[in-house]
Amino acid sequence: MSEIEATYSVYWPRGQRAFDVEPVAPKVNSLSGKVVAFLWDYLFRGDEIFAILKKEMETRFPGVTFVGPDEFGCTHGADEREIVAAIPGKLKTLRVDAAISGMGC
Amino acid sequence: MRVSAVVERAGVPTVSLVSQGFVGLAKTSSLGMGMPDLGIAMVPGHPDVQTDEELERNVLSVTLEQVISCLTSLEQGMERIVEPGPREVVFEGSIDEVNRYFYENLWTDGVPIMPPTRGRIEAFLAFTDRAPHEVLGIMLPENRAATIWSIAVNGVMAGCRPEYMPILVSLVEAMVDPKYGVEHSGNTPGSETQIVINGPLIKELGFNYEQGAMRDGFQANTSIGRFWRLFLSNVTGFQRHQNDKATFGGTWRVVMAENEDVLAEIGWPSLCADMGLAAGGNGIFIARYTGGKVILSVYGNTAEECLIYLADGVKNITGWELIFTVGVAAGTYKPLLVLSPIIAKTIAKSGFSKADVQKYLFENTRITARQFDNYIGTYTNTVPGRRTLFDLVKLGKAPKIYGASRDPERLVPIVFRPEDIMVAVGGDPLRTNCYVFSQNGYIGSPTAKPVVLPRDWRAKLKAAEL
Repeated sequence: MSEIEATYSVYWPRGQRAFDVEPVAPKVNSLSGKVVAFLWDYLFRGDEIFAILKKEMETRFPGVTFVGPDEFGCTHGADEREIVAAIPGKLKTLRVDAAISGMGC
Repeated sequence: MRVSAVVERAGVPTVSLVSQGFVGLAKTSSLGMGMPDLGIAMVPGHPDVQTDEELERNVLSVTLEQVISCLTSLEQGMERIVEPGPREVVFEGSIDEVNRYFYENLWTDGVPIMPPTRGRIEAFLAFTDRAPHEVLGIMLPENRAATIWSIAVNGVMAGCRPEYMPILVSLVEAMVDPKYGVEHSGNTPGSETQIVINGPLIKELGFNYEQGAMRDGFQANTSIGRFWRLFLSNVTGFQRHQNDKATFGGTWRVVMAENEDVLAEIGWPSLCADMGLAAGGNGIFIARYTGGKVILSVYGNTAEECLIYLADGVKNITGWELIFTVGVAAGTYKPLLVLSPIIAKTIAKSGFSKADVQKYLFENTRITARQFDNYIGTYTNTVPGRRTLFDLVKLGKAPKIYGASRDPERLVPIVFRPEDIMVAVGGDPLRTNCYVFSQNGYIGSPTAKPVVLPRDWRAKLKAAEL
């Protein structure tokens, strides 16, 4: 006797995304003369990597200056939410033009 | 990536530095945050295992150009994702076809699921007074809505019974609580959540709370544990090889029910009561744990005789997790010790309350400052500048007890406070083993929620097939 298989109409198990796709911020046309911020989760040798990038970028882009991660605080600690929420205000106060954020490892 | 999204919304272009193994996650996370064009610059390999020369060479030859390009030019186009509606039928087929379709879409855990049909979902919805479309929270990393409907769908899939629905709702309420930190659930250590249940529901719904308390085989304990991981994957967005970046990971944990008969006998509060919930009420407790081990054959007929060995167990399970005591975070490490009922009763017979147990453990679970510094510095490099405990005390980032002297052999506590060593009672009532979990700090902080039952709970429960 053949088996009669039931047919199931099943529903999507995921949740609806609560946003629309957003554009990223406009890029800078050059890094010369710009203020670049380092944002860091204080892990995975980010301080050393920032130092390497800083040294080379200073050579290539005249007038570029940098704001170190201590100005903003650790972006992955127990105070992450408060620290990250305060970043936009600090970027404005410090007149930051671009940011380098690390480390995802 | 979360930081970069915030910065971009502030009008400042960013680039995120990501190691090679995290590039895929970074792209998935960007999409999940609604910004698929977030700039990513790769660091080849993993920085922690490179010499200074290798790191410099890799950064200059690969990372630097990507950094400059991301900050100065937009190359990608925006991708608009089309997904089903929140209550849309996505497939029709036999049970095998449904399971294959769900598996191919990463909606299962690799084991067959119960098909989430309308009838089954509505059976779950009948066990809550809340509306199906109610949103409990929006969760990172994918900014998806956790709704009563999605809880029911995943509860069906996990093999739960409809009458478990009030517990499932409470679990998701705990999941979306900012205190818990669900957004970190895809982290590299791959920690897993332990759910503990308290209250009359333990017996009403047939939870196992005795021998094999953390073993699969009992529908309530097992299916609810499975639901947690399915929901975390499908709704929160931690899908394998995408946002879930556990190096090894582990499977979901079976729900543990405390032995409330013994708690009542010895006058100790439950874990949920410790968290501020009403004593004797129904509640769930969650926290993420990095690992666990059995403490075998606890020997002794007084509290002190038992606790000296248990303190050793708590100390030994703790290693790199000390970065959540001092280092990456401060005072957030909260290990969990589960006492078998006979051991709990032996300790209580000496006149010890649970608070006394925690005080004893706090005072006797100490390691040398040298070992502590090894875990937060030498072994893991998780404290910038290789600062020692002593340095961190001087900087005001650790309590003075950690910097009483520079003597590396001085003993320091593994947690900030006695109550940070949490204690529960469960397992085989007559075996002298205990169990200890090491905890993931603020990444999965202990969180508890009451379980709210629907109107006519008794009638509905009676009508359900038990």
